[in-house]
Amino acid sequence: MTNDAAGAASRDSRGGFGRVTLEVRQRLPAWKHGLFLAISLAAGLLISVAVLWMSGVGPVGIYEEFILYTFFNAKGLSNVLVECTPLILVGLSAALAFRVQFWNIGLEGQLILGGMGAAFFALNDFGPPETRLALMMIGGLAGGALWTLIPLALKLKLNVNEIISTLLLNYVAFQLLQDRLYGGWQDVDRFPHSPQFDVAERLPRIGFGDVDSGIYLAVLAGIVVWWLIDRSRFGLFMTFVGSNARMSKAVGLPVTAVVVGTVLLSGALSGLAGAVIVSGQEYRLTTTFAGGYLFSGIVIAFLARNNPIAAMLVAFLLGGLYVGGQSIQVFYNLPAGVIDLLQAIIVMCVTASELFVRYRIIWRHR
Amino acid sequence: MSLEFLVNWLASTPVTAAPLLLAALGLIVSERAGVLNLSAEGLMLAGALASAAFYQELGSNPWLGMLGAFLAGAALSVLFAVLVVVMRANQVVSGLAIVFFAIGLTSLLGTLGGWTDTALAGFSKVDIPVLSDIPVIGPILFRQDPWVYLTVILMIAVSWVLLRTNTGLRLRSVGHNPHAVDSMGIDVIRTRFLAVVIGGGLVGLAGGYLVLASAKIWVDEMTNGRGWIAIALVIFAGWQPYRALLGALIFGGIEALIPRVLASGAVLPQYFVLMTPYIATLLVLIWAAVNKRDLGAPRALGLPFVREDRR
Repeated sequence: MTNDAAGAASRDSRGGFGRVTLEVRQRLPAWKHGLFLAISLAAGLLISVAVLWMSGVGPVGIYEEFILYTFFNAKGLSNVLVECTPLILVGLSAALAFRVQFWNIGLEGQLILGGMGAAFFALNDFGPPETRLALMMIGGLAGGALWTLIPLALKLKLNVNEIISTLLLNYVAFQLLQDRLYGGWQDVDRFPHSPQFDVAERLPRIGFGDVDSGIYLAVLAGIVVWWLIDRSRFGLFMTFVGSNARMSKAVGLPVTAVVVGTVLLSGALSGLAGAVIVSGQEYRLTTTFAGGYLFSGIVIAFLARNNPIAAMLVAFLLGGLYVGGQSIQVFYNLPAGVIDLLQAIIVMCVTASELFVRYRIIWRHR
Repeated sequence: MSLEFLVNWLASTPVTAAPLLLAALGLIVSERAGVLNLSAEGLMLAGALASAAFYQELGSNPWLGMLGAFLAGAALSVLFAVLVVVMRANQVVSGLAIVFFAIGLTSLLGTLGGWTDTALAGFSKVDIPVLSDIPVIGPILFRQDPWVYLTVILMIAVSWVLLRTNTGLRLRSVGHNPHAVDSMGIDVIRTRFLAVVIGGGLVGLAGGYLVLASAKIWVDEMTNGRGWIAIALVIFAGWQPYRALLGALIFGGIEALIPRVLASGAVLPQYFVLMTPYIATLLVLIWAAVNKRDLGAPRALGLPFVREDRR
């Protein structure tokens, strides 16, 4: 084992291919960035198609289920909108937090608390029926924001890693939900779900399929977040804090306030997603309403590069993936996990392409 | 609480604790090399399915099943390592992606291969001749399936390799300060790659244990969050194998206790009790931070190694 630095430098980290050096890119033109993203997405989709093909779904079937009957069919499209309503909200939530380098992996816990917050107002019949929905939505926002308080405090005061603290709180939240649904909030039929919500406590349908007015809330949230990031001073501060928190503090920006505000808003949006699910589609609190949103939220923020408008688009497409995946399950007898598999494949391809985005690869042949 | 209840409970704790310890050992190996490994749940599932598949296809041999579990965990970890060590991808996103990849793939393959929902004989308990007849301690310590004992041996082995050999020293240094180690000529990428793959194999073994010794069946998503508990356990244990044993016994003991207490008719806020592993880990995090005590985390944990990034 040689000790000299020159020897180490000439022994590259991959061996065999000549010398490979990674040079950190200072700047990457947007079109190139987009190109890498497009190539990696295409690769992910190709692999997904191959996987489906090998499981018995031919290309014609894939086209039919994922494109034709999903996006070009009224029933399919309405289902996509139903699916993407909470997806938009969790995607925005993740994107917001990631923008200030706060890795909010607790989306599902915040979503659960939001659903519980809404259910609290619904099941206890708070206030007059006209205002109850509004109260429920506020309960959702509050529940989600509340669940970020502990990881926030831990990170800001004690520098505890937020990845772990938010992750752990997901499970605590789930057990809290179970406790309520098997306990005080259990329906008389002894199933682990709450009683059904009254009419005043349900988000009204908009008249297109099963789509509920939660979609308006989701799109509104998207516009608000876009405005916040792109047009407000707070958004400017967010950008600074996200790129270099120490320098921002040195320059005099209110870093703590920015982080706290952003993360609370992030939690609130996930909470709102939970409220929208229980009052828009399920009309009761169940044990499974939060399933799968953690990964989806992160995937959306990741693929959209934390951009709120892109996040809404990605959420819409992901909703299409879910809807198509559900009919694949039914018609081709594949298990539910197949959608997770496809999502994961796409994410892995895109995350692998980060290498090319962040670094320039230089080959020096000996 | 009668003595019989106590003995029964303690005798079943090793069965719940062993997979947690195995998974924690695997995670310790890969995380001590500096790679944050959130893929444990996925690796356990892969190992579990593989053990069921190997068992059913290769003549009902549980040892071959465990071999399959190790190989599956290692194979999936190769994918994870390529993403995270070679391509320097984001370790959080990649880890989560592997989990969902595994959930989907095992569900799909289990259905296509027809290995789902089939009861297996698996491992039976070993009855150590004289010792297992000792009144209280006998059934607890001396009447367990072979993998309980093997896990303890593995723990000693991992701890010894990690803390007392040059290989272990290299691994730990890579997780502590990869740039310094790189300038000494040690191949950081290769070390991390191997650590992730071997560690992943151990986590796969944990999944195999669940199928062949614990539940004796494979069903979709049967790991049921144990991978995440293992991740919390590693933090709770400060990345040390012997403390991981303590943590596994505590968390496993709780898991074994709850159904027994409920069956005996006692009223228990069971969901709050189920929260304890996670809250305990949070408390450890808080305690360490308040006391400005080093958690024991490898200093370079979670940071991709890029030689050119040297500051």
